[in-house]
Amino acid sequence: MQQNNSFSSMMALFFRFSKLNLKSALEYKFDRFFLAFAVFCREMVSIIVIYLILTRLIRIKGWEMNEMFFLYSFLFLSYSLFIFLFTGIRDFDNMVYSGELDRYLIRPLGLMYQIVASRVDYCATIGHGVVGVILFIKTAFNVGIDWNYKNITYYIAALVGGAIIQASLFMISSCFSFWAVKTINLRNLIFFNSRRFAGYPISFYPGIIQKMLIFIVPFAFVSYFPAQFFLRKPDLSMFWSGYLYMTPVVGVIMFVLVYRFWLFGLKHYSSTGNSMF
Amino acid sequence: MRKYLEIAKKSFQNNIVYRVDYFAGVINTLLMIFVNIAIWKAIYEEEEVLGGVQFKVVMTYIILGFLMQSIFMMEEYLIESKITSGLISSDLLKPLSFRINIFSYNIGALAFRVIMQLTPALIVSIVLFKLLSPFNLKSGILFCISAILGYLVLYSINFIVWLSSFWFYWTFSIVTIKDAVISIMSGALFPLWFLPEWLHTFTKITPFESIYFVPISIYLGLLPYDEIIFGIVKQVIWLALLTIVGHIVWKMATKKLVVQGG
Repeated sequence: MQQNNSFSSMMALFFRFSKLNLKSALEYKFDRFFLAFAVFCREMVSIIVIYLILTRLIRIKGWEMNEMFFLYSFLFLSYSLFIFLFTGIRDFDNMVYSGELDRYLIRPLGLMYQIVASRVDYCATIGHGVVGVILFIKTAFNVGIDWNYKNITYYIAALVGGAIIQASLFMISSCFSFWAVKTINLRNLIFFNSRRFAGYPISFYPGIIQKMLIFIVPFAFVSYFPAQFFLRKPDLSMFWSGYLYMTPVVGVIMFVLVYRFWLFGLKHYSSTGNSMF
Repeated sequence: MRKYLEIAKKSFQNNIVYRVDYFAGVINTLLMIFVNIAIWKAIYEEEEVLGGVQFKVVMTYIILGFLMQSIFMMEEYLIESKITSGLISSDLLKPLSFRINIFSYNIGALAFRVIMQLTPALIVSIVLFKLLSPFNLKSGILFCISAILGYLVLYSINFIVWLSSFWFYWTFSIVTIKDAVISIMSGALFPLWFLPEWLHTFTKITPFESIYFVPISIYLGLLPYDEIIFGIVKQVIWLALLTIVGHIVWKMATKKLVVQGG
């Protein structure tokens, strides 16, 4: 069969994959709903903690509860978008570990295309997305934001940029799985911890952590700077104001660099074998 | 006894194999402590004393909470994976008690975490984060007893949740919801006196408080002596109750078991 990689056939295949994903997700309706609910509960924990602390205190370092939740909404909505597009990157270590990657490698299609197209984790998308939407609705109209075209455009650009930054971070950790095979803890370290940092304004942290969140694991561009674009709290004066507009730029640059590293890692890949047990 | 020790030893060794994972685990705990201290510092910036408690005390609470969480981690999907893979049939045929088998496996992992992960994390916490020592010698000793009981209460709750895999085949959702409930209600993430009054009262009639809040309160010397004894007695009662429930669920589960090949 002749290999046909034209754009339209790729898109057709993409929709076919999506349809299959949706079908398999809907096969177990209750199970999937329950899973989305579980993700929702897990993510609500950090929100509840902030809520409990702030009902006693009203504000921390000048940040009020609604402003804090507005910042948090960026984290959840961009993560939801990231999972919707790049579930395969999130599950990459596991694909290497279980040997499933070998199947992808022998198909006549680009590997990255397959990884992006072949999986969507609807439960995580919905679980995180619902938390994000709730926070957004609760806060977006009472923290003093004028939702004009400019602001809406910025908001969307920031979400997409944030999703790409997170995808790049996951790809870095999946690169390590080419060499060290089991990297779940390492990934937790890189990703979920920085994400925890980013749930609060980075001005809360000592300088070295702020620098880390800007230059090394740039989560500051996922939540803090986009939120500050709208809120302009006084602690912004600690940082260069150009950062406010950098989210999409950081996303694209990171993704390009990480993708090259990932291709390099792929060259060194040797299969772990297919046996599950 | 020897055979169960052997299982614990195997599980200990299993954990040593993944070195990257091991270092990441230690750093993970320390980072979590670090983040939370930074946040609580920001909270305490405006007031010296909150709810009658000093910053130093809350900081010690938070550090202890995360240190305990790091060693109380368990193999949540061990039973599930045995069922879905069918390995459970050979486990049940062995002349071993399945429940003690699972328990020994977790004890092995616990020993690994105490020796290899807690020790370095504790040293860093004392040097870098200025962890306070126990209120006095007696509360130190009672803390150890209470922490062990806390682990056992958590284990027996977990065991019941794990057994649900006999009915559901797939327990990620239940385990995740259980974790969310425990992390709010047990005082693992913040002192329970930050909860609203009604919810704090509610946690007192649940077993969750026994896991982290009771031991840490004892460590900090926040409870008078008779309340300490009351807290420990409550832990023992919960442990007994949950063990009985676990036993009943286990009996039901073995009747229910369907093996899909192995």
